[in-house]
Amino acid sequence: MSYQQNNYYTSRRQQNWSRNQNTTRYVSAIKLGPVAHTILIALMITVLGLIYLTQATRATGYDYESQRINSQIAELNEEKADLQIENARLTALETIKNSAVAREMTTPASTAFVE
Amino acid sequence: MNLELLKGSRSRILAAVILFIAAIFVARLFYLQVIRHDYYVELAASEQQSRFTIPASRGLIYAKSGENTIPLAMNQTVYTVFADPQIVTEKDEITTALRDIAGGNIRKDFEKLLDVPDSRYQILATKLSRVQADKLKEKNFSGIGFQENTQRVYPEGDLAGQVLGFVNTEGVGSYGIEGYLDEELQGQDGLLQAVTDVGNVPLTIGNNNIRIPKQDGRNVVLTIDRNIQSKVEDALQAAAGRTGATNVSGIVMDPRTGKVLAMANLPSYSPGEYFNVNDVSDFNNNVISGPYEPGSTIKAFTMATGIDTNAIRPSDRFNNTDSIRVQDRVISNATKGITGNITFETAMQWSLNTGFVTIAQRLGDGEQITREARDTMYEYFYERFRLGQSTGIQLSNEAAGAIVAPDQPTGNEVRYSNMSFGQGMDATMLQVAAGFGALINGGTFYKPTVIDGFITENGFEQIEESELVEKGLVKPSTSTEIRRVLTDARRAGFPGVDRAGYSVGGKTGTSQVIVDGQYSSTQTTASYVGYGGADTPEYVIMVQVSGKDKVFQGARDALPIFTDISNWMIDYLKIQPKG
Repeated sequence: MSYQQNNYYTSRRQQNWSRNQNTTRYVSAIKLGPVAHTILIALMITVLGLIYLTQATRATGYDYESQRINSQIAELNEEKADLQIENARLTALETIKNSAVAREMTTPASTAFVE
Repeated sequence: MNLELLKGSRSRILAAVILFIAAIFVARLFYLQVIRHDYYVELAASEQQSRFTIPASRGLIYAKSGENTIPLAMNQTVYTVFADPQIVTEKDEITTALRDIAGGNIRKDFEKLLDVPDSRYQILATKLSRVQADKLKEKNFSGIGFQENTQRVYPEGDLAGQVLGFVNTEGVGSYGIEGYLDEELQGQDGLLQAVTDVGNVPLTIGNNNIRIPKQDGRNVVLTIDRNIQSKVEDALQAAAGRTGATNVSGIVMDPRTGKVLAMANLPSYSPGEYFNVNDVSDFNNNVISGPYEPGSTIKAFTMATGIDTNAIRPSDRFNNTDSIRVQDRVISNATKGITGNITFETAMQWSLNTGFVTIAQRLGDGEQITREARDTMYEYFYERFRLGQSTGIQLSNEAAGAIVAPDQPTGNEVRYSNMSFGQGMDATMLQVAAGFGALINGGTFYKPTVIDGFITENGFEQIEESELVEKGLVKPSTSTEIRRVLTDARRAGFPGVDRAGYSVGGKTGTSQVIVDGQYSSTQTTASYVGYGGADTPEYVIMVQVSGKDKVFQGARDALPIFTDISNWMIDYLKIQPKG
């Protein structure tokens, strides 16, 4: 008499099903027809559209903020340039020559190098 | 489908009509959406999108002030105030506000402009500062608008006017460095293409947005030293008053690098007020644009040619009879009486033409200025010292001048005898100063430059130390010998004018001017070219004095300007006297 051993693989889920014979799958009592499905899909598309619009509006809001900051930067740069020009004019050689301090200065009679 | 309906003729006609109309719609839609797709996309884009130019800032121009840099040309935003007379209502208030705030910037009779009928745009005031414009904007007048413009400003006034040039009302640089480097200074405008809202504010939505950043113009640092420039301009002004000259020019160079430290002319102009100039020739920088016969200043070059080719030594002698015959012409000396068997050094000291014609003859067979002698002079003058050819300095309108080659019909013996003392040839002051620098610095020719470097995001970036053009122009021994001859000649001829302990040498020049094709005896140009330093030359100065129908002399009119600048340079550069 020959002996034969067969090994069958059973998944854990199958084992669970086997163990808990009372377990049942949930089945909704509400049945959706083709019209309801269409409406739901339309609603989902609408919601996605709204989300997109919200994001786009928010991005546009940043554009205005960015524009405001750019204008501010431009204004400050202009102010800086004006101040630099004013500084350059105040330190110009002609201004220095005509200053009260320069007018009080005298030319040395002679200059020499000190060893 | 109920086939019974189709059997009825009216139904069939209606169906056919509807089908036909539907076909027309489909065809039209196909035409609009497929065939004319690109056109309508473009049309829609043009309405939804705007293109903005992002203007690049013009590069600034700086000068040196010792070790520091100072701005010579800057940009300022200014405003133009305009009115729409059809909207303006508060005329009295606008008039008062403009008078109080805009002051000298208002247009003449601007009140009348507010009443011009059928006009929608009248300019009331120009070049208002930001502060002035802000004060007017606060008033919030209806029908009053503001236009932003960029204006070039020159805080140092008319300092180095002809070196700088100017920027015209169209934003284009003319003359000087503004003209020469216009493209680099202008930079590249940027571009922003985007969907905009009703207020023309660019938005990030849309697929075809383009943003090309602007590239501002390069900020240039010149080799011009503000203090030296100012001194030279003052010295020229004083000389004009002293001599009565209408045209005076000067240049200061560093013979060790070819850098131009100062370059000035009279008459000059203020680049910020270029529109007030009546004579356009005032825009020209005579130092680079006015080739002339440099006269006896060229004698230094002739003697160097003779020494370098071993044709003569400064101590060699010749028989001076105050005149010398060259073919059918007789060339005379301006200074007479130094006759007999004299040295070439003496000829240099007294600037005797006969001595330098003799040197030219000794370059050949000793009797005539042969073709070989003329070839040698041409090689030294034109090819080595680069007289009569553009130096390539970074300034607009540089003139080349002219040296007639010996193979030309007019490149004969008479021409070359004249060239030996600086007549019969045209060279600019810059060419003479650059060639002279090479003559006394040991024989290295440096290309003259006015650009020291550029200011970038990383700070100051100096351009390569100096653009060496040619070494060994003359032998170092020739250079040393010429320096000695020029220094001795100056000391002997003009004792006590220089500070003790320094080597200062140079050569005067008085050249006749060609008027109506003839050399005039009533109009001459005076020049002086020289160098100064302690052990080695540290600066080269050349000055020129001229005026219509006026006689000027190198020693009397040009030399004092050189001396004034030279003695000042010794202090300014803090040159220590020789031990």
